[in-house]
Amino acid sequence: MTGRIMTGNEAVARGALRAGVKVATGYPGTPSTGCIAHLLTLDLPKRHVEWSTNEKVAFEIASGAAWAGHRALCTMKMSGVNVAYDALISIAYSGTNGGLVIYVADDPGVSAGMPEQDSRGFALMSYLPMLEPATPAEAYELVQRAFDVSEVTGAPVFLRTTTAIALGHAEVDAESPRAPAEIEPILEKDITRYTKAGSKICKDQHQASIDRLVRSGEYVQSMGLNRLTLASSEGGTGIVCVGAVNAYLPEALERVSMDAISLLEVRTTVPFPWDETQRLLEHCEQILVLEELEAHAERAVSVAAQQSGFSGAIIGKMNGPLSPIGEVGVTEILAGLNAAGLVLPQGSSESVSQSNAEGVAILPAKRPITVCAGCPHRGTYLAVDAAIQRAGFTKDDVMVTGDIGCTILGMNPPFDLLWNEVSMGSSISLAQGYVHAGVRTPVIATMGDSTFFHGGIPGLVNAIQHQVPMTLVVMDNGWTCMTGMQVNPGTHDGFQGGGRRVDLEAVIRGLGPDHMHVVDPFDLEATTDAVHLGLQSDGVTVVLAQRECAIQSSRRKVRVGTTTIDAEACILCKRCLNVTGCPALQIRESESGSPSMHIDFSQCTGCGLCASFCPTGAITHTVASKESS
Amino acid sequence: MKTCDMVLVGVGGQGIVTLGDLLARAACAADVPIAFVPTKGMAQRGGFVKVEVRLGRAGGGARIQEGRADVIVGMERSEVLKGVRFLRPGAHAVLYDHVWEPTGVMLGVDAYPARDRVLAELSDRAGRVVVLDPERRPRLGGQPAAANIFTLGALSGCAPVREALDPRMIESVVVQRWPKATETNLAAFHAGLQMGREAPDHGFSQFARKAPS
Repeated sequence: MTGRIMTGNEAVARGALRAGVKVATGYPGTPSTGCIAHLLTLDLPKRHVEWSTNEKVAFEIASGAAWAGHRALCTMKMSGVNVAYDALISIAYSGTNGGLVIYVADDPGVSAGMPEQDSRGFALMSYLPMLEPATPAEAYELVQRAFDVSEVTGAPVFLRTTTAIALGHAEVDAESPRAPAEIEPILEKDITRYTKAGSKICKDQHQASIDRLVRSGEYVQSMGLNRLTLASSEGGTGIVCVGAVNAYLPEALERVSMDAISLLEVRTTVPFPWDETQRLLEHCEQILVLEELEAHAERAVSVAAQQSGFSGAIIGKMNGPLSPIGEVGVTEILAGLNAAGLVLPQGSSESVSQSNAEGVAILPAKRPITVCAGCPHRGTYLAVDAAIQRAGFTKDDVMVTGDIGCTILGMNPPFDLLWNEVSMGSSISLAQGYVHAGVRTPVIATMGDSTFFHGGIPGLVNAIQHQVPMTLVVMDNGWTCMTGMQVNPGTHDGFQGGGRRVDLEAVIRGLGPDHMHVVDPFDLEATTDAVHLGLQSDGVTVVLAQRECAIQSSRRKVRVGTTTIDAEACILCKRCLNVTGCPALQIRESESGSPSMHIDFSQCTGCGLCASFCPTGAITHTVASKESS
Repeated sequence: MKTCDMVLVGVGGQGIVTLGDLLARAACAADVPIAFVPTKGMAQRGGFVKVEVRLGRAGGGARIQEGRADVIVGMERSEVLKGVRFLRPGAHAVLYDHVWEPTGVMLGVDAYPARDRVLAELSDRAGRVVVLDPERRPRLGGQPAAANIFTLGALSGCAPVREALDPRMIESVVVQRWPKATETNLAAFHAGLQMGREAPDHGFSQFARKAPS
């Protein structure tokens, strides 16, 4: 073998390098993170790679580079397209000069949270081609084709994977990178193309974007990206199989007779392969459409059938039996084949007598995820809870809005503090709505640092302008953590590459909240005081809780302190565990043979929060003498 | 070429994703097509982790259909139940019988499945069950060897795996990956390999502390 094992994300990165990409930008988001993350591990002279402040910023940077004539890549998870779309549809109407590729990873089956949305809908709305590989090896190829389509037609082009491809590992034959083109940047002054100020301008651009999609359809057809294989005899079933599902179809077909099956392998729902579909309809008696999430291809097939007078059955999701929910694998394909009347061999239904979701007679133990041992958010949540109690309320009385990222884990036990999670930055604005609705108890919003830079600032500006009485708690741990510790604007200077840290505290102070408190979340008393003051105050209070992510500081061997438990003094009341839920706390037999609380020193960072709750003083905590964070 | 579909489950931090990576490197070196995909949700430690590994299928997807895995591996007693639905009839199940109690269990508010019921579930649904006692890991210099390499050895010894991929290839990528820990890793791998090979074809291996009641 000549290839090497890589993820779909890395395959996209390497394909883009092979295509001579000049600028690559993105915002972290599972399952897409690995693409930019891989590029950032490489030494890439004459190229620019960055984690941008948010997906819209990332896309606009890539677009500027592409308008100037270079190849540019922008990456994001499906939710990121929602953020980037304001700019994206505008640039789609203008078109591009250099190849502009938007890499989006959808998450059918929801491995990481957020709406199970189908990004193909965005491609439809903006007349943008979208290439849909089925494997990492195809992703490597198709990202290169995406740059070609973009430059030949002038349309920005989506490359869409799904979780199992983006995070899946397989062998890919990746060739060496090609240097970006040595060209002078294009500075084209043409307000009819690059602005939107005028009815004629916008209508002409609308038409131009439609024309580009038509040209893309012709070009995609000439490349043979959508492959049609007709059965030797007419009649039978025609299968339209889209994107990721193509990786599983052969495995399912191994279990049925292939004789009368014709197949259209679709790698572009947009532009839809109309000609190939017409030929399939002319050849077959019925059509089975296999696609993940929404019935976009099925609707297109139905339109084609209506235009051509096809009267056979179209089997898919619109009239059942397939579902828009979750991933499509061999099981779902077999269900489709079954609905199409293809006889499945005995035992292929895998009818397992299931007594619960896991198909077993007994349930596994519940394992709700919580913040890591040593996570500074633990201190913040405990302090917010304590402040609510000090103000005379319980956490079931007080609206605490949540936001995206690790901070949302405050919704889980033992904290049970957060009520909702919407989108990056929405906790602040949502909280204002609750205040205006007349909620009589205090309203608190919570958010992490990367989320604040990404989408939180406009909401805070609004709260200050309109003098909304509320408390915002910003948990600043210096990194974008839930996606695997990426650099963000507030990350320490030493990790900024050629860039420089943006001072989060100065940004917030600059906005001018009515009250501001900067605290260390491991100082429970000070953090509780600060939040409590916010609950008592008019106007906007911001509590900025600053302490680096425990995973990141542990990697650099930075210790907060040392925490030990005297097993003899421990009465096993479990209060430390009950209150903090820290994963480093365990119950073990001590040397005397009786069980007591123990600390797993492979996880403990010595934050000392557990010691604050020990009623017998069995837990002692000493702050590290030389702490550098 | 033989195919082998494996589902590995456990808790974040046990080194399960690393096992997928090692199998992939070994397969690549042995010219065996490989696809694998980890599912681990979010970045925090201590959550459920699943890795699907497929040997011998070129160009296919990485997801394994329920009821079709040749081998499942659980590295935690309760979490192994989340792999059971993937077992095909007659498949092999390997349990590294470690208990990682969630906080709710330690606090006495959540239940943890009884060992005999977990083992009964495995033996009802798998053709062969290999139970690895964590205490039987080799000890070098007083420290027990890596649990995931011990488990990898047992996995490599199961017939569907070793018929699709020579265990010596797996062994050599383990050695390459951690050149400074060769002695302890080889001891762990070989101990596991022997248990994976020699466990009886039906029912429980002798590597369990006790048979289910």
